[in-house]
Amino acid sequence: MKKVLYILSLLVIASLMLTACGGGATPTPAAEEAATEAPAATEAPAAEEPATEAPTAEEPADPNELPRNETLYFNGQQWGPVVGWNPYSNSNNNAMAIAQQDNARVIMFETPYLYNMLDGKQYPLLADGDYTWNDEKTEVTFKIKAAAKWSDGTPVTAEDVAYTWATHVKWPTPTGEANKDYIETIEAKDAQTVVIKAKLGADGKAVNPLLVNAYLSSNYVIQKAWTQTLEARSADVTAFLADPAEDVVYSGPYHKFFADDTKVVYVRDENYWGQDASMWGKLPAPRYLAHTIFKDNAAGTTALQAGEVDVSQQFNSNVQDLWLKDNLPISTYLPEAPYGIGASLPTAFFNPDSYGLDQVAVRKAIAIAVDYPTIIANAMTNQSATFDQVPRSLMNPTAGEQATYDQAAVQDLQWAGNDIEGAKALLDEAGIVDTDGDGWREYNGQKLTYVATCPNGWSDWQAAIEVVAAAGKEIGIDITTNYPEWSVYQTVVTKSDAALPEGYDIFMMWSDGAGPTQPWSRIRRLMSSEYIGMASNWNGNWGKYSNPEADKLIQAIPVESDPAKLKEMYTELVKIYLTDVPSFTLMYRPQAFHTVNESVWTNFPHDGDGTNPPVPPLDLTDGWSIAGLYNLTLVNP
Amino acid sequence: MAVDYIYVEVILRAYRKYFLNKFLWFLVTLVSAFLLNFILPRLMPGDPVAAIVSRLAQGMSNTSGIQAIYEQYTELFGTNKPLLEQFVIYVKNVVQGDFGFSFSQYPRTVADVIKSSIWWTIALQFPAIIVGWLIGNSLGALAAYLRGSFDKVFMPISIFASNLPAFGMAVILMVVFAVTLKWFPTSGGYGFDLIPNFSWKFIWSVIVHYQLPFWSIVLITIGGQAIGMRSMSIYELNADYVKYSRFMGIKDRKIVSYVFRNAMLPQITGLALSIGTMVGGALVAEIIFSYPGLGSTILTAVLGQDYPLISAATLIITIMVLSANFLIEIVYGFLDPRIKAVQAD
Repeated sequence: MKKVLYILSLLVIASLMLTACGGGATPTPAAEEAATEAPAATEAPAAEEPATEAPTAEEPADPNELPRNETLYFNGQQWGPVVGWNPYSNSNNNAMAIAQQDNARVIMFETPYLYNMLDGKQYPLLADGDYTWNDEKTEVTFKIKAAAKWSDGTPVTAEDVAYTWATHVKWPTPTGEANKDYIETIEAKDAQTVVIKAKLGADGKAVNPLLVNAYLSSNYVIQKAWTQTLEARSADVTAFLADPAEDVVYSGPYHKFFADDTKVVYVRDENYWGQDASMWGKLPAPRYLAHTIFKDNAAGTTALQAGEVDVSQQFNSNVQDLWLKDNLPISTYLPEAPYGIGASLPTAFFNPDSYGLDQVAVRKAIAIAVDYPTIIANAMTNQSATFDQVPRSLMNPTAGEQATYDQAAVQDLQWAGNDIEGAKALLDEAGIVDTDGDGWREYNGQKLTYVATCPNGWSDWQAAIEVVAAAGKEIGIDITTNYPEWSVYQTVVTKSDAALPEGYDIFMMWSDGAGPTQPWSRIRRLMSSEYIGMASNWNGNWGKYSNPEADKLIQAIPVESDPAKLKEMYTELVKIYLTDVPSFTLMYRPQAFHTVNESVWTNFPHDGDGTNPPVPPLDLTDGWSIAGLYNLTLVNP
Repeated sequence: MAVDYIYVEVILRAYRKYFLNKFLWFLVTLVSAFLLNFILPRLMPGDPVAAIVSRLAQGMSNTSGIQAIYEQYTELFGTNKPLLEQFVIYVKNVVQGDFGFSFSQYPRTVADVIKSSIWWTIALQFPAIIVGWLIGNSLGALAAYLRGSFDKVFMPISIFASNLPAFGMAVILMVVFAVTLKWFPTSGGYGFDLIPNFSWKFIWSVIVHYQLPFWSIVLITIGGQAIGMRSMSIYELNADYVKYSRFMGIKDRKIVSYVFRNAMLPQITGLALSIGTMVGGALVAEIIFSYPGLGSTILTAVLGQDYPLISAATLIITIMVLSANFLIEIVYGFLDPRIKAVQAD
């Protein structure tokens, strides 16, 4: 019997080896696809290029293997398999290739301009030179570069820009829906010249010139001919947006090489137009961009340590340990804390319907009592500037935004936290004291007791919320914590047409990062009452704060062009925000985490690296940060 | 002749009754499970369409625009319809083999999502369960038979291993063999620098990546199976027929084979059940080793309230468990004389 078992075991082990191979081989259709695509890379007229630029481009590519010194690996961007390549749709789950946002991701599709979060400027990409507003400030004109070409070799024209917009409106896509209140039409004056007519208000002025500017660096130009092909095969808008668009024509330097449930790989287009002297003058350094799909941050960090990831866009807890303790060639944009450039302001919102939270004294007392240094040290492991370094306002820590308001004028209103005595005095003054001797304060005889909340599993946010609750106990306000699942949490806080339920007295959400409309857009989303009453509010002001004075300022800023007046208006908004405390910032968070491993590639963007314009730490894929792809060199060429 | 014929007739009728009975129960369970598969995910609080809209609405600044997208997708996924109507549509589609779109991976279809991940799970779990079961049972029987020091060392180890949570075993293996010794990769189904193809390099990479998730499952299975088998074998070894056989002078090897066969019966049920539930069991190994497969797909689906994907995946598990059970009952009907006797009465 034992012998039989032994033989059986051997047979099973043999069969499992076979099954394993069988299992692994299931994505073969994709492999075939990769194989058919690969020759395209080798056909490229690599000879035209200086041999020193990309010596490897001349060697035939093995379609089955990514040479380490030709591939740049990422983590933290792609979670779950890629489902499509359709630039009109937002549901491709194709993070590296398709992200139309303030810092648009431009490896495959391109925007007319590239936003640089470090200097706040928009640099031409497909566009030729700067864009100009007419004197009436009703329309914008820009030209398309003569060298700009599609992947099929045809030139990018003004007609493509116009048709892209027309399509967004016609179908209607998320981009069309988002911008049609601000953009009237986009027209091609001639083959190279684009005219954007802004939507005008009753006063004959553009409704929002800021958002028209932003459109130029956040939305892709898509080929007219390909769009017509897509339209021809789409029965309705759902089909149009659900089309996986494997045949899409693009203008960027990379395109699909391979994608399955475990990874996605992009390969360089050797004919990319950007190697023309009017743009980059050469091809980006890595031939492949690859992203392994990790299950969680821990797996991503392990791979970064192992040198299997070059650019990490995820929160690596205690990132400094990677070089200080593990002695790995890993670094961040800044060598010391906060390691990156803070861009967004994770914020705690008050629910004004909760008992006592309609009182400014209670809101402000909680906000000034919170121990922010602990939040920054524990939740963010010091990957955030402190409020001593960057005093709180509505602006992120970038120099550009800090310059938009008068810091001296609001100095008295700013707080850095841990002000227990100040908070107690504030409450005592307002008559909110402990009358029954149980250690907790009462307002009009009713004990102040709140639940602070954020989504479960968002560990940095949870750590921050715990610190908020601890502050309450210090000043005699009973704050407990509760962490619902994100799937529940998000539906509760985004329902702005009803009162928030119990358990959502103090809750966390995000704010805008860096972009061409900032800090205006962030302020709008933190304070504007226009979002109250929406059944599904993904914009902001989740605490439903309403202040007509603030609303007026928020409406006026986009049409104001006098810098002095703008500064005045922004300062006023900061004053209102710090006085009323409808919500309060808990930490600064970078636009994108940016940690690099220099065991294979080097010359990544670092603070003071001498690049001009400076390359922002945004993974070498977003907005102007793509310039960093052209600067990379190999450690061992 | 006539007596024989009547006897066969009686037996056949008994079997038919037995199978029909079991089949009816199979159907009843399947229908109720199908209902639950549909209803339970939809009873979760929260709104999956809101989650999709959040993805779509990133960077959108206009309020009516977001509302329009929200309505477009509630319409598309039918979540604005009454539950009963949703169910009727669902049944109609499932009968035609259409599980609809996955919410969390839209516009991918549920069938496509499952198709691309299930083979990884089967290739990992099926051999792991079989190998763990075979090794565990052999060792358990051996421990019962040999007793002495082997048993004394083996038993505590088995109890320890079987009680170790699956993630504990996976993490230990990962830290020891992948992070510290660097013998095996820490994550993925194949090399991070490879594209799937039929080359030795790729196949070897799959085998190497396979080892840690595989052994993390096998080691835990061995412990549990061994303990069960050891108890069953000790019970059987003390049975009267074993003593009688010894008196009769039957060889030890022959006796062991009798004992093994009898002790096996409950273990086979265990095997069938673990094969049935393997999809769920794959979760831990898949997540810790970032291994592709259905387990992590289900987890993502649950977190993302992907009703169609949850329903389809749980339906697969249900059908696998039920079929495994049904098959075992049928096989038992033939194997176990006690069941035969009851039916013939």
